[in-house]
Amino acid sequence: MVERIEDLNLPNAVIARLIKEALPDGASVSKEARAAIARAASVFAIFVTSSSTALAHKQNHKTITAKDIMQTLTELDFESFVPSLSQDLEVYRKVVKDKKDIKASKKDAADASASGSGAATEEAT
Amino acid sequence: MASEDIFQNECSEEPELEVEQRMETEDAAESEDETEAAAPTEETSPAADAATEKSVGSKSAADHERAAKLTQLPLGRVKSIMKLDPDLHLATQEAVFTVTKAVELFIASLARESYKFTAQFKKKTVQKKDVDMAISVVDCLLFLDGALK
Repeated sequence: MVERIEDLNLPNAVIARLIKEALPDGASVSKEARAAIARAASVFAIFVTSSSTALAHKQNHKTITAKDIMQTLTELDFESFVPSLSQDLEVYRKVVKDKKDIKASKKDAADASASGSGAATEEAT
Repeated sequence: MASEDIFQNECSEEPELEVEQRMETEDAAESEDETEAAAPTEETSPAADAATEKSVGSKSAADHERAAKLTQLPLGRVKSIMKLDPDLHLATQEAVFTVTKAVELFIASLARESYKFTAQFKKKTVQKKDVDMAISVVDCLLFLDGALK
């Protein structure tokens, strides 16, 4: 399933920052521990994905949606993540929508016959 | 189990502003990944779901730029990890975003769980053995058992 181990690496600096933010002031993390947490995070991503894939397959749909992910997390005993993720997803949708709107209005102002903007807007929906 | 309580409070999002600048540089590198990653998807999955296909592929580079403000981990990288699942046909960009956020929450949770053992040993630095302990004690981390060798 996994061919190259580098594909599983998440950026070290970001991992270090996320860990630091989670821990109380004055606490630090050894290199080995950080590497272990980073690997655990990659495994978690695969675990959630394959569980979601299985779930989607059971429900006879092919495309994995945010809803599938939420449902999977609940089944995997990570339901405590769901409220926070739902909020984040709302923000994400809003940002995507805002961007779409800005793009559309910009294109309209610059060029009335912007067919490209029409296509982009449809994609973003 | 008491040690699972920490998984309940996962809403901290404040320190994102200071992160933005660094993300921008990472973003530049990552959007290349993004376009590369988009190409194989189009090959592996036939045109049947063309509309959804776009939500994974072509749109993602543009979205990524905005989403950088919402996630700390790069969406492109998480997506390529997700694609390691051979059974995965398509995933919406929202799904990739949700997984990315979930991974961030997961990292914070695992760090906190591990730190409980660090503190128990009256230490300040989290060691690998603390992480191993957390994994063996917390039920929902059982899937990691043996995965970190």
